[in-house]
Amino acid sequence: MEKKDLLKNEQIERLLSPHPLSFMKLQALCIFVIVWGIVVWWLTEFSSYATIFSGNGVALWYPLMLWGLVLLLVGVVAWLVAIRLSIFLLYLAVFAGAFGLIYWQHWENNTSLFIMVYSVAVSIVGFLIIELYRRSHKYIITNLRIIFKGGVLTKRERTIRYDKIADIDAKQGILGQIFGFGTIIPVSQSGFGLGSDKSFAAGGVELGTKKAKLFGFAGGGKEIQTPIARSYYELHGVYPYKDVKQLVEGLVQTHVPTQYQKEQVEFQKQQVDIQTQMRDLLHKQVREKPRGKAVKQTIEEEEPGEEQNEDEEKIVMKKTIAEDAFPPEQVDIQKQMKELLKKQKTVRVAEPEEEDVEEEDEDKEEGKEVA
Amino acid sequence: MANIPLNIDSLVGAALAPILGVIAFWFLQLIFIEIQKRMLTRFRHSHEAFCRFTNFIGILFQTICHALGYTVTRSGIATFHVTVNYGTVEPRKEKTGVFEWIATSFLLLGPFFIPAGLALLFSAIVIGNAFVFPAPSYSFVESLTNFGISIITFVQRFFNFLIHMDLFNPLHIGFLFVLWFFGLGIRPSYVGEERKAKIDMIHDLKNIFYHLTKKPLYILVIILGLYAFYFLSLFLKQNWYMALFSVFGWISLTAIIALLLTYLLLFLIKLTDYIRGWWKAVSYLTVPVSYVIARIIFLYYPVRQGYSFSLLLMMVCTFIVTILLIKYKKTNRFKTATKMKHMRVADGKKRSSKKRAN
Repeated sequence: MEKKDLLKNEQIERLLSPHPLSFMKLQALCIFVIVWGIVVWWLTEFSSYATIFSGNGVALWYPLMLWGLVLLLVGVVAWLVAIRLSIFLLYLAVFAGAFGLIYWQHWENNTSLFIMVYSVAVSIVGFLIIELYRRSHKYIITNLRIIFKGGVLTKRERTIRYDKIADIDAKQGILGQIFGFGTIIPVSQSGFGLGSDKSFAAGGVELGTKKAKLFGFAGGGKEIQTPIARSYYELHGVYPYKDVKQLVEGLVQTHVPTQYQKEQVEFQKQQVDIQTQMRDLLHKQVREKPRGKAVKQTIEEEEPGEEQNEDEEKIVMKKTIAEDAFPPEQVDIQKQMKELLKKQKTVRVAEPEEEDVEEEDEDKEEGKEVA
Repeated sequence: MANIPLNIDSLVGAALAPILGVIAFWFLQLIFIEIQKRMLTRFRHSHEAFCRFTNFIGILFQTICHALGYTVTRSGIATFHVTVNYGTVEPRKEKTGVFEWIATSFLLLGPFFIPAGLALLFSAIVIGNAFVFPAPSYSFVESLTNFGISIITFVQRFFNFLIHMDLFNPLHIGFLFVLWFFGLGIRPSYVGEERKAKIDMIHDLKNIFYHLTKKPLYILVIILGLYAFYFLSLFLKQNWYMALFSVFGWISLTAIIALLLTYLLLFLIKLTDYIRGWWKAVSYLTVPVSYVIARIIFLYYPVRQGYSFSLLLMMVCTFIVTILLIKYKKTNRFKTATKMKHMRVADGKKRSSKKRAN
């Protein structure tokens, strides 16, 4: 992360990337291919069932058929369980690759050995791609926002400010609990980070024979809202999970609107206190009427026709008269009021700068719109 | 009936012998478990993840046993929750009396027998002919001897399988992993960061003793039931009673063998702690590499006990390589009880070797 990418007053709290074991679901697909390849090799070459797979003609293809059948079956099961067609397509591609290579290079006589070597090679490539994918993820936790980056070919980036986080979903699987990593999904107020698990059941039946046919179809669906996001839109498999979770929760807590509202309420309380004090002082002032009020009036009446350029003299006179006219208690009250007004002003000045920032932002946006 | 001597020895003593045998083996199992727990506790600070893994297996089995207890007593299971640190099972119906006692018995005694029982089932598939049931016997000594013969035969065949194991056979290697897996989980309590009284064998025994003596009537009923079963077997001239206790003896022995195999693993882990950085990987890699080389050698120069020699060569090579690595690549890292990167400095910031971005 370069410094120019950061906002004003933004500081990086933590730079994270997923734990090497956090993509175990993907790695398990490769592990299965390796294990199954080795098992098929052993089964067709060394086990007591090896004789079934020995022979010429179609028998040469038996190991490949067995290997492919189980591979595709597992692919279908994984597709249905994980609701990911890509798993099945991946296994189909692996099987098609093996079949194509054997057919093209005429390796029918060594199918078992080829399957084993091919499985290991394909899995190693798979592991490397997964590792590359894992390393493409970068999570930057700053004091203002979280930045998510990921993607091998297409670069994706998501930024979320803490005040826009409505909810935090955190999960830690068994591997995560053992190795201390976990996934944190910040759900935004707009619902980004929320997904749904869908299940659908349907069935059809055909009744009757040639003349009367009855076809029935029934279906039902279920949808559950659940926090779910792509690995580059969540803090996927971050280590150490507990520390990161605590950090994110702490930062969200300091940025939530309630905190700002609390500050506002505090400010308003101060204002009300000041105003109450001022009101009390005014009441006090009214009750204790100045004795020099009449004198002041007469003086002002006596000198209505004087010239304007003698203003300075007038002010000095009025001041002296006022000081003389008001008793010391009144002067105190006025002094206190002056102090309160000053305090009120200073409080207003020291008000959170966010409003100003927002105003500036709004101005900028308006400017952009105008442009 | 005519052949059965009607005396105290045949009516009481013969029934008592296999019970004592099972208790003896169970105590032996407890001692082996205690040794494993202490080994794990000692290197917990340097192998946190591994210890968490072993804890998870132990807790998983313990929770399964507890759930099994509620299932057997038809209490039902309302919640089932397993984490690395604890497991929770709550019954759907709160039952008291004998049902509660049975459910607690499953919780306390189950972890000693159920995982090992599962390993025994697997061994029945892999080893096959290891199980020889003892003949019916009518005296204490005869009963004990027959029980012993059954156990010894089992041990002999089990070890015979282990030393002739073909690690290129997925079934054999799978069985080895199962034994390691169950071996790491055959214990009822948690391995803490430091040795505490609550996690040792005495604590487990105290709990079990308190549980059993809390309801002496139930124990009496169990003993009477066992005697009834013994008399039934005796008068029908069947070895059912002896067979039942032989199975418990085999379970304990399977647990002990599994624990012995985990010792080898723990010993290797402990030794590699003395090796510097990535060099310790060489030690672990020696295990499969030396075995594959040995098998290739014996493929071209066949010998009678090729599998056994391959295993032996593998163990010897691993040991020698590890010792050499300890000698020449010994770690020079300053070892502390807690990791240095977790130590806080005076300003409250964590020390970290990772680069902090500006």
